[in-house]
Amino acid sequence: MRSDIHTEKLPALPGKPKEWLPLWATLIVAAVWFMAIDLEINLQTLIWGVQDMGEFISRFTSPDFSRWAQYLSLMGATLAMAFWGSVIAFLISFVLAPLGARNLSPHPVVYRVVREFFNLCRAMPDLLLALILVSAIGLGPLPGILALGISTAGFLGKFFAESLERVPAGRYEALASVGAGYMQTLMYAGWPSILREMTGYTLFILDRNVRMASVLGLVGAGGIGTALSTALRTFNYDRAAAMILVMVATILLIDFISAWLRKRLQ
Amino acid sequence: MASIKLSGVHKHYRNNVHALKGVDLDIPPGQFLVILGPSGAGKSTLIRLLNGLETPSEGRVVIDGIELNKRNLRSVRTKVGMVFQQFNLVDRLNVMTNVLSGRLGKRSWFTSSLFLFPRTDLELAHRALARVGLVDKAWVRADQLSGGQQQRVGIARALAQEPALILADEPVASLDPVTSTEIMGLLREICDEQGISVVANLHQLDYARDYAHRIIGLNNGRIVFDGPPDQLDSFAEARIYGRSANTRKEARHDLVLAHA
Repeated sequence: MRSDIHTEKLPALPGKPKEWLPLWATLIVAAVWFMAIDLEINLQTLIWGVQDMGEFISRFTSPDFSRWAQYLSLMGATLAMAFWGSVIAFLISFVLAPLGARNLSPHPVVYRVVREFFNLCRAMPDLLLALILVSAIGLGPLPGILALGISTAGFLGKFFAESLERVPAGRYEALASVGAGYMQTLMYAGWPSILREMTGYTLFILDRNVRMASVLGLVGAGGIGTALSTALRTFNYDRAAAMILVMVATILLIDFISAWLRKRLQ
Repeated sequence: MASIKLSGVHKHYRNNVHALKGVDLDIPPGQFLVILGPSGAGKSTLIRLLNGLETPSEGRVVIDGIELNKRNLRSVRTKVGMVFQQFNLVDRLNVMTNVLSGRLGKRSWFTSSLFLFPRTDLELAHRALARVGLVDKAWVRADQLSGGQQQRVGIARALAQEPALILADEPVASLDPVTSTEIMGLLREICDEQGISVVANLHQLDYARDYAHRIIGLNNGRIVFDGPPDQLDSFAEARIYGRSANTRKEARHDLVLAHA
């Protein structure tokens, strides 16, 4: 019986598939190399750059905290901006995400439209959006809040919609079979099933918005960013250094709190 | 009390599957009906037709003299409870809320979206939980319960609907034998005591013999057996679970492919 295995004629293996990876890798390395040459990036300019940076950073070595109360209140304004931006993003995605979830959307066209709206929101960089809104409605925190809200609604909406799609179909079916309506299915099967992901994503967005809100001040959207940009333009490096330290400390603190909260949720 | 009448029911799915090929069925009120049949025979489709989770391609489904259609779907569903193989509870909500969700069909979307229910609903849910013996777990989150307990909550949710009919789609397929007999016994008691009709899909012949008033055998979309449990002899079994020569050949062919 064993010899059967050896005498049996083996069918030929199918042809080996072609491997294109080495070719692509070579092409990509070559392209990166040419880019470096074209942009005149070389070791020498890099070293000069580092030297220049060192000199610039040395101007920030004596932070001036004499106006700390003002910095803190500006930081508070920035935090409030981030918070309200996140609230707007949450509200928009809470209303729209179910319509953009394939299994809950009333119609494929609605699904497409909502998803494209989220894509559009995400595609718009909030810095650019803030710049446009500042010119449209004037300086202050409101354009910053709107910019953060709109651009992160795109992220949050997509996250919520995808989580709602991952809920087992049976849960929606169970609600449908007691005669529940659309809103009831959402409140009793959809949202509770993704509660943990929702909280995690929302904290992540809040976290991101705190970081972004400080930057948005640079284009005149209020908060500590605006004060920082003024300090830099008037060569007040000591004040700028103090503000940067306040910002970094706050962002680290928020980072830490949200990481702790998210861990608690697991 | 619910009487169900299916006449000339066909079901075609979009992927060219002809799941039911002309089913006629009368279920009198208070009957415990078990549907047997091999996988793919159309058991689930038949059950899901009875609360409109599927709509027939041809034929009529009539419950208590009302023909199921899109407009009366919600009102019919409020009277038909359903129990699932995977329980389909929301694991982050507590047991009480899961049971209360059985009342949703009769409540307005606005108050129920705020998780507000009339006191009478709470009493109903309380009674349903007492019926399945889980009152002490009322405020425990559903994912903390064992499989058998979760299925009891599923039954309590169906009871909270004050149903005339309970559908059970393979209610014990994910449970161990001991828990399975408990769940089957509970369903049978509910049927006997409260006169609620039960229609259940099963894979186990023993449970069908022990708990059913009447057994329906489905094969390849047709009813091939209909009678009380004591008529389910080996001939009937062969008819229900037998494959046609054609499908057997197909199965062997699949096996060869898998080894290649």
